[in-house]
Amino acid sequence: MMLGVADSCFLIDWARFGRRELLANLFEAIFVHEEVLAQLRSPSAVDFASRLLARGVLRLYPWSLAEEELYLRLRDEVALDPRIPSLERPDLLCLVIAYETGAVLLTENLGILRVIQFHPTFSRVTAWTALEVLEQLVYRELAEVRSVGDFLNLVAEYCEDAKHVFSRKRLEEAVERVRRWLAR
Amino acid sequence: MAGCGGSPPKRAPPRKPLEELVREWEREDEEFRELRRRSADWKFIEEQPPHIRAALLYFIERGDRYVAAKIAGLTVGEFDELRRRANIPVVV
Repeated sequence: MMLGVADSCFLIDWARFGRRELLANLFEAIFVHEEVLAQLRSPSAVDFASRLLARGVLRLYPWSLAEEELYLRLRDEVALDPRIPSLERPDLLCLVIAYETGAVLLTENLGILRVIQFHPTFSRVTAWTALEVLEQLVYRELAEVRSVGDFLNLVAEYCEDAKHVFSRKRLEEAVERVRRWLAR
Repeated sequence: MAGCGGSPPKRAPPRKPLEELVREWEREDEEFRELRRRSADWKFIEEQPPHIRAALLYFIERGDRYVAAKIAGLTVGEFDELRRRANIPVVV
């Protein structure tokens, strides 16, 4: 079992997934910043988040002054970089929490994924989009997947429910990893 | 992206040079924009009031829900409802 930290886009999208409850089997606790929680408005996302909070799986993160300072440094570094899609405060707060706690960052934010790709400090953060979460469900045998076709069906189910598309390159890489895992 | 096979890795994989990453990002941006454009319900978008239409068009171009939500004067959650109705996928 692991620790996670979820951003609002991840929670909004995952809440639409028919098998959303599986997320709670993957993580011991998932941190959420109160500013992230404030972004949730759709009934599906609010309902999903409040049920996870009630079960103690989703937990409000106790934000500190030291983390606020780290956020300000990170903001100053990335906010003016035109190569990075604009990043709002709640996105960066999640990245700081993941960095500080070692939790897996659950995000659908391209800008955050790019910061992790290039930033010398924050590249140590592990970030998963829904695609990697679906993969983990396979590896931890929380979803019944016996073939690559089953995995692609699981991904298609998520994409349909969340109105989501994964890039061809990333999907091919994920399929290859699952193929190797199934053949072990 | 790190940590996709089994347990999360203890160390981050070696990073690519920034110039190479930027070229990859540009290719990715174009691919993702095209997917959003192709899937969008343009009739629905055209029927929206100006600020909502502008937000949806921005989202098609940039794929950024936070800024699109701000253009629309909505929270991310509220904007996402509109995005779904406009049939614009999140592409990552």
